[in-house]
Amino acid sequence: MMGEEQGRLLERLLAGEQSAFKELVDTYQGAMRAVAYAIVGSRNADEVVQDAWLAVVRNLAGFQQRSSLKTWLLTITANTAKNRYKQNRREVLLDDLPAPHGSVGDERFAGDGHWLLAPSAWHEDSPEALLSQDELRECLEHTLLSLSELQSSVLVLRERQGLELEQICNLLDISLSNVRVLLHRARLKVFATLEHFEETGQC
Amino acid sequence: MLTCKELVARSSDYLDGELPLGEKLLARQHLLFCKSCRRFIKQMRLTQATIKALPEAPVDDIDEIVQRMTDAQRTQDKP
Repeated sequence: MMGEEQGRLLERLLAGEQSAFKELVDTYQGAMRAVAYAIVGSRNADEVVQDAWLAVVRNLAGFQQRSSLKTWLLTITANTAKNRYKQNRREVLLDDLPAPHGSVGDERFAGDGHWLLAPSAWHEDSPEALLSQDELRECLEHTLLSLSELQSSVLVLRERQGLELEQICNLLDISLSNVRVLLHRARLKVFATLEHFEETGQC
Repeated sequence: MLTCKELVARSSDYLDGELPLGEKLLARQHLLFCKSCRRFIKQMRLTQATIKALPEAPVDDIDEIVQRMTDAQRTQDKP
């Protein structure tokens, strides 16, 4: 959202326009949910997001626009999540759960580091063409659900929400190297699902 | 010279621009000569774009959330 557009939305929010609140929730709820999901897990994420929205309303008049609206909203969400779970803040789990179609593992390479099973060409070369297949869409959802909460959130925040790695570190209180590991493992699993589907035509 | 396995291990950092200059050059050099790894990187980019294009689940209780927000704002505005 550009500066001017954001300014207009803020004015409408401060004036209490219901349609402006709807636009705000519609645009940012997904990103906020991903942040909450990473910090408190799936069971409590929705509750944290609801509390965060109320905190947003309380602080709206004080928003200085020093950061983008999105960054401000995500910071409030992260703080709401962290405050609530201060006592039992989880350790960063780098545990790698098995994915439906695996990853790109050592077995793909020969002893000298060359491909043993090199990637073959895919039939589709655009996201639209890939996602026009219902079965593949479901298959991808299934793979995303198999990721750990943290891994899936980092992937969503990076790819879908377009956040910089540094922003993800700050919001989730994890190191850059951990973000990189989480992201790489998550991407390889999604890659493996796409590859499997392209090769076999089924999930 | 990087091996294919090393290239794959660095692929996310390569795509995110997180590789230090020396390693970035090594990766580029490898890609110049290795068709399989070029294809792999291309497919990784497609993977990224596909995740981005995957439709987000709609907010199902949006009216309820909006109502609570406007209520909260009204209560706050009262002196």
